[in-house]
Amino acid sequence: MNLHLADYLIILVYFLFVIGVGFIIKKKIKSSKDFLSSSRSIPLWITSLAFISANLGAQEVIGMVASGAKYGIMTVHFYWVGAIFAMVFLGVFMMPFYYGSRARSVPEYLSLRFDEKTRALNAVSFAVMTVFSSGISLYALAKLLEVILKWDFDVSIWVAAGIVMIYTFLGGLTSAVYNEVLQFFLIVLGLSPLVIVALQDAGGWENIKAQLQPNMTHAWKYMGNTETNPMGLHFMSLIFGLGFVMSFGYWCTDFLVVQRAMIAKNMRDAQRTPIIAAIPKMFMPLIVVLPGVIAIALMQPALQSKGFSIPVDANGQLNYTMTLPSMIAHYYPSGLLGVGITALMASFMSGMAGNVTAFNAVFTYDIYQPYFVKNKSDRHYLVVGKIITVAGILISIVTAYIAKGFNNINDFLQLVFGFVNGPLFATFLLGMFWKRTTGHGAFWGLVAGTTAAALTHGLTIAEGKGGWITPLYEIRSGMGQAFIVAGVSWVFNFFTTIIVSLLTKPKKDEELKGLVYSLTEKQSYKGGKWYQRVVPIAILLLVITILLNIIFF
Amino acid sequence: MYKRFNQLSFVIGLFFFIVSLILFANALFNNARAGINIYTAVIFFIFGLLMIFIKNKNSTE
Repeated sequence: MNLHLADYLIILVYFLFVIGVGFIIKKKIKSSKDFLSSSRSIPLWITSLAFISANLGAQEVIGMVASGAKYGIMTVHFYWVGAIFAMVFLGVFMMPFYYGSRARSVPEYLSLRFDEKTRALNAVSFAVMTVFSSGISLYALAKLLEVILKWDFDVSIWVAAGIVMIYTFLGGLTSAVYNEVLQFFLIVLGLSPLVIVALQDAGGWENIKAQLQPNMTHAWKYMGNTETNPMGLHFMSLIFGLGFVMSFGYWCTDFLVVQRAMIAKNMRDAQRTPIIAAIPKMFMPLIVVLPGVIAIALMQPALQSKGFSIPVDANGQLNYTMTLPSMIAHYYPSGLLGVGITALMASFMSGMAGNVTAFNAVFTYDIYQPYFVKNKSDRHYLVVGKIITVAGILISIVTAYIAKGFNNINDFLQLVFGFVNGPLFATFLLGMFWKRTTGHGAFWGLVAGTTAAALTHGLTIAEGKGGWITPLYEIRSGMGQAFIVAGVSWVFNFFTTIIVSLLTKPKKDEELKGLVYSLTEKQSYKGGKWYQRVVPIAILLLVITILLNIIFF
Repeated sequence: MYKRFNQLSFVIGLFFFIVSLILFANALFNNARAGINIYTAVIFFIFGLLMIFIKNKNSTE
């Protein structure tokens, strides 16, 4: 893949704009609140697009195209089962507590609802996870540019990290959020032409369906038996593991995404942020799943004359990760190629900036301020927030180099993230909807859930992974194993929290007002058009999501 | 004019407007498979102008 002047110009313009946004926002940064939480001043359309864009990182774009090629249309489950319902639940039921409690972060909500040890456990694990995620994202970007453009790995690392550092250092969260919106449009508009030309080249959707095995073009039909679908999953594992535990655990508790809703101007906008974001999320499979399905169809005998193929790795297996870059190289001429490469870069940088801004907020608000240096001036915490931003980027760079040296670190970190994230939703669900839940219950529930996740992984094996204690039970697919690990960890957390809570003393009702459903005044928005209200639009979204599942059954 | 840089929709519009001009210029001087570049440039151009001229009271801080 060779870039020409027009391609380099587009990349350069993009870099200038994202840095320029940082300089524009810099003038508005006067306090630590401006820098770390945007002073709750961001308009709805920006928070909504930033909400979805924070999740539109490298794993989403390249990973979902790869999954589309490997598993077919079943990959839409990550959207129509594993996202929309949880986003709607967050908007309707959980945002009133996050936003109404005036907490500046998710760990701070845990501190208000439970106690300091639960907050510390969540804050430390989240801070470590985000900064390592950022490093892995950086590594993946540099590796991709090295493979497809023959760019120097070190230069790519330092240039990408340097640009993210400039705009996050200058403008903090607002700058990251503004750039996420630009990146969202770039990714969507930059990859849309690819879908159109590739779909046309493959002879349209009907021809793709004719070329592929039926289980590649049906989302649910073959999920009654693990042997008959490419993911090797039963629909019950999918619904509980992905649709409930993992999906709600991520969308409803991960500060990286929740933070985008917490910076809205008022409660109604905070509630509408994930709901409005669910609209583009619902149609995102057109951009990130469909290309993978088209790619695999183009490799079928009847379409081999089109000349497209997914590269193979050293073992002779299809390297699905390269599906999207290969399609861009195949279909995009000079000019549009620059747009495609810039869109890929934007997805990586968006993911990295999201992680860094969540990291600096949690580190400053939930680790540094409560446990190290209390009661200092706002100026002090602003400076600390900026220093932590730089430190976060530098740790990301170190992580990227570690990932380069040890390929398995990516798998290892993803695994640990799963252990920590899996059980988390049980803590929030009980904390928000059962006033009897105690701080001790929440803390030991999290510990039990994480331990159960590690043990389940150690006792099961799938595709050669896991079974490090003893391979007691074999699961057909790695994805199925991830869902089962998450499900077990959730159940252990849920029941441990209940048992320990019943044995320990709960907080008084007065202390839980605004933090627990039964003790909080319900939001009622009278007036305004139906589409400006939270519940009607949430119901409409759920109906459309169910219809989409039926259409692609 | 400078104040409009505080408006995110203007910044996004300007970005796509500039990229569309680069795509147009590239299609003009480099004929190879120019069609897709031109189609995309037209979409970016229209989207860019729409974003530049959009009047959104909420997007101005």
